Amino acid sequence: MNVSSSDPPSPEGADWPSDWLRATLGFLALRALAAGPSYGYAIIGDLEQHGFGTIKGGTLYPLLTRYEVAGLVATEWRAGDGGPGRKYFALTDHGRAELARLSTHWQRFADTSIRYLDPERSTKETLE
Amino acid sequence: MIRTPATDKKWFDDVMVELRLRQVHGSAIGDTVASARELLADTGQSAEEAFGPARVYAASLELPHAPAGQWVRAALWPMLASLLAFLLFAQAATAWAGEELLLVSPAQVALVGTPVVLAAFMPLYLAAAIRRPWILIILVVVCSLSGFFAGVVAPQTPAEAWLALDPVPWLIGSSVVMLLISVVVTLDPRRSGDDDRITDPSSTAPAGGGRTRSLAVTVTHWLFPVLALVMLGVVFALTAAAR
Repeated sequence: MNVSSSDPPSPEGADWPSDWLRATLGFLALRALAAGPSYGYAIIGDLEQHGFGTIKGGTLYPLLTRYEVAGLVATEWRAGDGGPGRKYFALTDHGRAELARLSTHWQRFADTSIRYLDPERSTKETLE
Repeated sequence: MIRTPATDKKWFDDVMVELRLRQVHGSAIGDTVASARELLADTGQSAEEAFGPARVYAASLELPHAPAGQWVRAALWPMLASLLAFLLFAQAATAWAGEELLLVSPAQVALVGTPVVLAAFMPLYLAAAIRRPWILIILVVVCSLSGFFAGVVAPQTPAEAWLALDPVPWLIGSSVVMLLISVVVTLDPRRSGDDDRITDPSSTAPAGGGRTRSLAVTVTHWLFPVLALVMLGVVFALTAAAR
């Protein structure tokens, strides 16, 4: 499988390879809830606004459902303005700890990857 | 209530059926449906566009569900026992109304038992039958034909019969079994269906249709005794007309 090499991200970052999103969407969705409870459309909008493209409901909701079952997020239906209610998702303490853990791990992985991908790395290592 | 386009109705029906087939609790199904409607109202997308095929979406949710064999114990075995008792009742009632012995041949037993065997294997094909209505049609045709041919091959005289039985004990026994099963399933609170209704968590209005659903569930529990009574009336009417 060579999805990454055949499907490079667009300059705008709105069309990342699906493999990359699949790997990161979990903690990105948790991060979208870090500021406070939010609902499906707002989470999708937040991720889109930050350059991750438009995430489909069919991708986001199964993830949030699994997190709800795992106790990472709590849900609450709140009355809407003249319409039906909205389902709000909020981080639990467990979810907040998991977000911190995953963010740290991802930071280390990203740093490691960036160092490895550095085009000048081999030159530097040879000179050393 | 949010209106969804007519094209989405099938998607929502399909997703509810798929989740039911996975033994997901009614409240979780209601939550899934309401969440999907909420997002569609926000985005203006069609359900298929936003969530993909209903079957794939239902599977991807991985919602907690009841143990796979629970409905077999709770619903299938009582239904099978009632069906068997009803088929026996039908044979015994015909013989009793005609003041004859209950005559049984092996071919007749095999044909009468066909619907029971098909029902017993229901867990193996139920999902496929619900997704493909033509399978249900074939099942109905097979059961109807087996009932028809069971009448055709029924022995006419005790000499042709494998067994010649007094119909009264079988009539009483099958009636008692049907009544007992109906009473037990009616009194069992787990079978009321009230705690497994698909409810809309996005609405503050109380869920409607509770009384209608309870009545429908009760009628289902008493289906075989009611059918047996109707059949007894028909058999007596036909016997009286023949005389």
